Amino acid sequence: MAEKLKEQESIPVSKVQRAAKFISTGAKVGGNYVRHYAKKMVNPSLDKESLHQSNAEDIYKSLSQLKGSALKVAQMMSMDKNLLPRAYQDKFTMAQYSAPPLSYPLVVKTFQKYFGKGPEQLFNTFTRSAVNAASIGQVHQATLDGKKLAVKIQYPGVADSVSSDLKLVRPFALRLLNMNEKELDHYMEEVEERLLEETDYLLEIERSREISEACSHIPNLNFPNYYDEFSSERIITMDWIQGQHIKEWLETNPSQESKNQVGQALWDFYHHQVHNLKQVHADPHPGNFIIQDKDVLGIIDFGCVKVIPEDFYKGYFSLIKKDLLIKEEELNEIFYGLEFISDQDTEEEKVYFKGVFKEMISLLGKPFHAERFDFADDGFFEQIFELGDRISNDKMFKKSRQARGSRHGLYINRTYFGLYNLLNQLQAEVETTKPDWLK
Amino acid sequence: METTAKKKTSKKDYRKLILESYQQHVLEFGKEPASIFKFAKELKMTEGEFYTWFTSFDAIKSEIWVQLFDETVSQLEAQEVYKEYSAREKFLGFLFTWIEVLKNNRSYLLSLYSEKLKSLTSLPTELKEFRSKFKDYAGEIILEGKETQEIANRPILSDRYDEALWVQVLFVFNYWLKDQSPGFEKTDAAIEKSVNLAFDLMGKSALDSFLDFAKFLYQSK
Repeated sequence: MAEKLKEQESIPVSKVQRAAKFISTGAKVGGNYVRHYAKKMVNPSLDKESLHQSNAEDIYKSLSQLKGSALKVAQMMSMDKNLLPRAYQDKFTMAQYSAPPLSYPLVVKTFQKYFGKGPEQLFNTFTRSAVNAASIGQVHQATLDGKKLAVKIQYPGVADSVSSDLKLVRPFALRLLNMNEKELDHYMEEVEERLLEETDYLLEIERSREISEACSHIPNLNFPNYYDEFSSERIITMDWIQGQHIKEWLETNPSQESKNQVGQALWDFYHHQVHNLKQVHADPHPGNFIIQDKDVLGIIDFGCVKVIPEDFYKGYFSLIKKDLLIKEEELNEIFYGLEFISDQDTEEEKVYFKGVFKEMISLLGKPFHAERFDFADDGFFEQIFELGDRISNDKMFKKSRQARGSRHGLYINRTYFGLYNLLNQLQAEVETTKPDWLK
Repeated sequence: METTAKKKTSKKDYRKLILESYQQHVLEFGKEPASIFKFAKELKMTEGEFYTWFTSFDAIKSEIWVQLFDETVSQLEAQEVYKEYSAREKFLGFLFTWIEVLKNNRSYLLSLYSEKLKSLTSLPTELKEFRSKFKDYAGEIILEGKETQEIANRPILSDRYDEALWVQVLFVFNYWLKDQSPGFEKTDAAIEKSVNLAFDLMGKSALDSFLDFAKFLYQSK
């Protein structure tokens, strides 16, 4: 780890400085991205990577003018299937944090609009500047009757600009993400839907309550309470979750036991949502998790929730059965169902894509194939990245005439990829539970 | 509604009556009355009487602008936090509140100004009074900003800052007239971004250091 960090320092200074600027606003980029990326940076044989890097800088600059949802899209695309060159991924994961803060007068105005009172009148104390930034809003700390509260306020005009931002991001996405037009359209609709949901704070409260309640039996998890009387379309008030972000927590050198406990809580949380609730907190971003006393995991921000349709669920998860890779018949059926292959494909294409997807699935399903899985195993992640790189540069994919994979997969892939990454960051070994029907 | 005869209205009320009726007329007909004569007749007063209060429609419009401004300032000052604001925040607060006040009169303003005000250079005469009052107000903000070092004191240039803020007021007004986003959220964003830019420009920046350095090199030669 120490050695890797050193490697990172050898990135040209200006880039570090620029990156630091974003980090200083509180960005904690997923550790894997950074580590992996740093490693590649010093490898001189990877010219293409550094080219991507400078591209990403430029693109990032233009994208950062857009703010809000466009960045969110870029970020999301970058998470998807890790098909994207790493340089972009880094930029985009950081992008989330870079929106400029709302001025205090605007915060006051927003409060007056919804409650007819300023924040000072509603709470005992209220921080004048934001304590945290989120992609489409910012968080202030308040107290009321001795209770610490977190108040999230949305930037004005975000909801309104989602659709137009998406149009803006299109040309970038096409050029950058090695996606063809069909594939992009296929996803855009899904992305727009989620983004619009994310701007609806009332819906977010409703879902937060629903999911927190449904997950309340899982040990070592903690959810904040939400306060309707101080919430509206643009403002959410909830309990302040005291604790440390994963990165900070890891710096305190927690024991392997603690890491496993947090990792297990995280795994259980996702397991219950995906397999029992069939709707999932689809934003496993490090910023959305806080580690509290006694290694309890606090979960905030239910902005992005993906409801998993039943038939998609069946198909997708039957793929993680270990022995499935042998049963050709069943596999074909699922691949059709998940839109990985279709009748439009030539025989050659069918064979090729089936091969690739099989490889992908057996890799991504690997944690499910044993009782326990050690996510500290960097080799596993190397393999995933390596496959992602290979696919993103593959000619067959680029010239493919149709989108591959069901649109629902976008968020589920993102969720699992994010979850694996978090667990890797935690260096946790967890019991990878499976639903009964998959055993 | 104002045309119903009012018994023994005091002086003050006449002024108010004329202002209200004028706004009412613009709202209903989408334009101002054809002449003072016709308007006075509507109000059941003679043209001669009318001139005691206002001498032209422009004077009426001017008064309405001033009233909007006064209301903005009084609303602002009623907020407790206002006193603690930095110069930048005060100006932001002013624009946010002003737009809120304007919102209640949007139809009136749209009928009169959606066609005009295309350019920021030619100023309708009825805005002059508002402008001078605003510049007094802006002057105070700027002075305060200079005291707290929030605004850099630059020769010649800094005397024109109040003018710059005025141009911004016009910009925001124009933007808001055309804004179609729900709750005029885009105007909020426009205010936020443009004020930040303005104050970043007025604040001490790399340019000042550069000029200072250039001056030093020149003088020490």
